[in-house]
Amino acid sequence: MTEFGFRQQIITSLSLIPVTFALWYAAGAPLAAPASWLAERLMTWILGEVVLGSQLQDTIWMVISAFGEENGVILFPARGGENLAIQIDTRLVSYSVPFYAALLWGSRVSEPVLKFCIGLAMLWLVMALSLIGVAAKDLMLLAGSQFLERPGVPPADVIAVWYQFSVLLAPTLAPVMLWLSQLRGTPLWQRLSRQLEAASRSST
Amino acid sequence: MARFLGIFAVTLLVLFTLELLGPIQQGVIQPFTSGLASVSSALILPFDDGVVSTGRILRDVASGFAVSIESGCNGVEAAIVLIAGILAFPARWQYKASAILLGFLAIQVMNIARIISLFYLGQWNSTVFEWTHLYFWPVLIMLDVLVVFAIYLRWLAAKGEATSD
Repeated sequence: MTEFGFRQQIITSLSLIPVTFALWYAAGAPLAAPASWLAERLMTWILGEVVLGSQLQDTIWMVISAFGEENGVILFPARGGENLAIQIDTRLVSYSVPFYAALLWGSRVSEPVLKFCIGLAMLWLVMALSLIGVAAKDLMLLAGSQFLERPGVPPADVIAVWYQFSVLLAPTLAPVMLWLSQLRGTPLWQRLSRQLEAASRSST
Repeated sequence: MARFLGIFAVTLLVLFTLELLGPIQQGVIQPFTSGLASVSSALILPFDDGVVSTGRILRDVASGFAVSIESGCNGVEAAIVLIAGILAFPARWQYKASAILLGFLAIQVMNIARIISLFYLGQWNSTVFEWTHLYFWPVLIMLDVLVVFAIYLRWLAAKGEATSD
């Protein structure tokens, strides 16, 4: 088997990025549906008092809250079935999928389809947690203390860190960590392992 | 490996949380972000004298188009990932310090390229701006982190007198 270096990996992944992002854009809702479904289950389970349900329209995830509004005042619960909803573009977090695909498909891994399916399932879990973070931040901005005082709602600082992590780091960090964990046994991993062993020796 | 992942995760969370604290934002992050706008403006000015920077805002005088460099656009989060990786990997402290300094610079060079490219893409096409801003550049910056970390490991391997590839 020929050597497959890190430089070649990066070049191949960079070449694949336009293709995987085009496929991701074309795929639309199906890529976000499992994550939004899981996020809805978790939110209605933990925050059932304030989150009534959700809908996915193309890539926009609409979370229906128990809050209402009358003359600029937030009401809990809403009156007359006029519930406030928040809208979140799932692409904010789902672009981790084409990034992961470009990394994985640019590597010479064995059983690439199986590994991609496992990775995708893991990413859906990360995406669901990220969507909850974004939704919690939006609900906090929408209803303020009325939301924060409900049972099961974490403190404002935790929501702020969770949201920032979900949007700024998780979509790019999670694919890299997943890809690295699936590299074992590949020529690139063997080469990296040799370098890691040698690098470890430099610490002594 | 478990030790590396543990230190990496804890360092990442600690640094990320610290970065969000009000005093750190006001005393370090926001002045640094304003500095990025000034550097970007200084780099553009020799080629385009219609650009001005005010605080974190970069503005084109003729069109009135402006970009504001916000948290998440200053490369600090990417640098935090790199720093966490460098600190988690066993190496001498002087090696770690050098790698953090040079790695931070490498990320910021890429980030300034991002800011300048977005400034012009935004004046050209808002859809292209949105795509590159929200999706492509974050991916490229993370790849930059990966490349810098790989170069660091390779350099450490050379220091450890490894058999190179």
